Amino acid sequence: MGFMLLEVAGFCKRFGRITALKDVGFHVEAGEVLGLIGPNGAGKSTLFECLAGVLPADSGAVRAGGAVLDERARRPLLFYVPDGIAPWPQQPVRWALDYTIGFLGGRGDLRVEVIEQLALEALLPQTIGTLSKGQRKRVLLAIGLLTAQPALLIDEPFDGLDLRQAREIAAALRTHAARGRTLFLSIHQIGDAARLCDRFVLLSGGRVCGEGTVAQLAALAKRPDGDLEEVFLALT
Amino acid sequence: MAIWKRYFLRSRKESGELRAPGQAGACPTKSPLLWLLEKEWRELLVSRSWWVLLVVMGPLAGVSFIGAVKTYAEVSGLNGTSAGVGEALAPLVGVWAPTFSACELVAVFLLPFVAIRMVAGDRQSGALKLEMQQGLPPWVRMGAKALVLLAGWLLAMLPPLSALVLWKFYGGTLYPPELATLIAGHVLNAGLTIALAAAMSSFTEHPSTAAILTLSVTVGTWILDIFGGVQGGIWERAAGYIPAALVSQFEHGLWRLDTTLIALALIAAGLLLAAIWMQLGVAVRRRAYESLGLGVLAAAAIGACTFITPSWDNSESRSNSFPEADERALRRIHGPLRIDVHLAPEDGRRVELERQALSKLRRAMPKVEVRYVSSTSIGLFEQTAAGYGEIWYDLGGRRSMSRVTTAEGVLESIYSLANVTPPAGNDAAVFRGHPLAVTAKGAGTLFYGVWPGLFLAMGILVRRRLQ
Repeated sequence: MGFMLLEVAGFCKRFGRITALKDVGFHVEAGEVLGLIGPNGAGKSTLFECLAGVLPADSGAVRAGGAVLDERARRPLLFYVPDGIAPWPQQPVRWALDYTIGFLGGRGDLRVEVIEQLALEALLPQTIGTLSKGQRKRVLLAIGLLTAQPALLIDEPFDGLDLRQAREIAAALRTHAARGRTLFLSIHQIGDAARLCDRFVLLSGGRVCGEGTVAQLAALAKRPDGDLEEVFLALT
Repeated sequence: MAIWKRYFLRSRKESGELRAPGQAGACPTKSPLLWLLEKEWRELLVSRSWWVLLVVMGPLAGVSFIGAVKTYAEVSGLNGTSAGVGEALAPLVGVWAPTFSACELVAVFLLPFVAIRMVAGDRQSGALKLEMQQGLPPWVRMGAKALVLLAGWLLAMLPPLSALVLWKFYGGTLYPPELATLIAGHVLNAGLTIALAAAMSSFTEHPSTAAILTLSVTVGTWILDIFGGVQGGIWERAAGYIPAALVSQFEHGLWRLDTTLIALALIAAGLLLAAIWMQLGVAVRRRAYESLGLGVLAAAAIGACTFITPSWDNSESRSNSFPEADERALRRIHGPLRIDVHLAPEDGRRVELERQALSKLRRAMPKVEVRYVSSTSIGLFEQTAAGYGEIWYDLGGRRSMSRVTTAEGVLESIYSLANVTPPAGNDAAVFRGHPLAVTAKGAGTLFYGVWPGLFLAMGILVRRRLQ
């Protein structure tokens, strides 16, 4: 783990009468794999969208190096990969990856490696709109991994993937994290999160219920021998 | 070791199985804007709606062109019609206005769907959430879309433009200034459609809602046109700036600076509005305030433009102007001229007076104030009222009355009031027309076969290649 990359404080978001996020705060360390875990509807995607500036937050601040970063200043620092989208559905995967490198300022030097890691060779000529859910997820992960920002926010990285693919992709994500890339992953399958993440932010009902390693969370939940599932159930 | 190989010995793989043959891959030297333009162009090329538009344009232009050539030929003396009648006809009004009317039809009914697909597609697919993280200002992204759509529109204008070649081949004459004006009018009209569709697409969550709203605005302008015709006054003036009126002016070879600037202001406002509402990361309230500010600015700009008077009659026949000698004589009259017209908005005489005389007079004399007076819109029950049908001229306090609604009658009244000798008629300056009694040979093959076939084949090939 490294120095503190980001500090998130006081994030609130309401959709009419519904409170999606309430005073959400935590920190992200450089090079870590941070898991944002919580049940469906906990506000994970909303939090990511607010952090990435694709959804306006009602309040809240992101700090880095002591300075408050507005949406524009956050752009060089983090990139967000949403779940369930099919960008440029009529374009082939090959072009989408090139576009990511060209337009989004991604890393061309990682292109071959990412294609290999996510087994995209066979999909390169296919249009994104014709891909299955799992294939599309792999393409989205490739887009995210090719971007150059030091922190990558991925919403549900394993959604739509089978067990084998999920494990392979977890390994690939680990490889990128090992090189210093910070990964912040929203995961609702606690088993997947436990295998991959260094630390966790527990989100339930739009509130942070806990933050830390499994041991720290277990201590917080007063279940010193509990696994992440038990801790999660105890804290949320 | 493996990482070293990956970073330093990757050229073989990059040029090998991981890239398709001939695929250049990412070009690091290309700017994000060029990438964006390429992306929008590719999106247009894979858009079925654009190819449908292209395929339809050929037959639509063909029907109009073939019909117009036939009528023009008959008026020019073909098949026993009296020769010489066509002397009054100019190709601009007789052939090109109807031929290019296909563009107007397509701009109203098909182009919005192409534009909506381009703008709303990014939001629907989720691509917008990725692209907006790049940091390019939203107006640049919207500008790129508009630029590509306009390029697509220029390609769509190829079938009617090919009619110019056919006409020349038949022995017809072409007058470039009036044709350039006509084409510019249709490009501006397309720009208005694109801006409107873009604005509606950014407002709404779903493309179908955007399509309904876009068509509703178009229908609204038609209603304004009808309402203006009935009510007169400010409504009539406002109706003079709707897209249909704009196209009509350009169709007659008239290039008005006020109309052009208003159209450009509306295009800019529409695209900026779209850009504002594409900022998903900005609070809705702030976007609403920004839209309001933009609306006020646009309204002020449009209001200011209505005071701009320069215009150019680019028609070969000078159909929007008095004879040059009369214009010179009118320019010598300096006093403010006020004309009170006691005719109802729907009275045919008022329409004739406006088209044949007053619109030309406004261009020739800057200090003209025209006031229409009537208590009903159709004027049917005013015919017996005292003063109905009278046209009062007031030049620096001297007044005269006439009931004549022709251009000659109006000029005569003004000359008499100003004590100006009417200029002598110049027969040599009178437009004699370009009669052409030919059949539209080969036009059917070109417009019903070649253009749709070509676009269909290109559409299939290009889409297959890109995908």
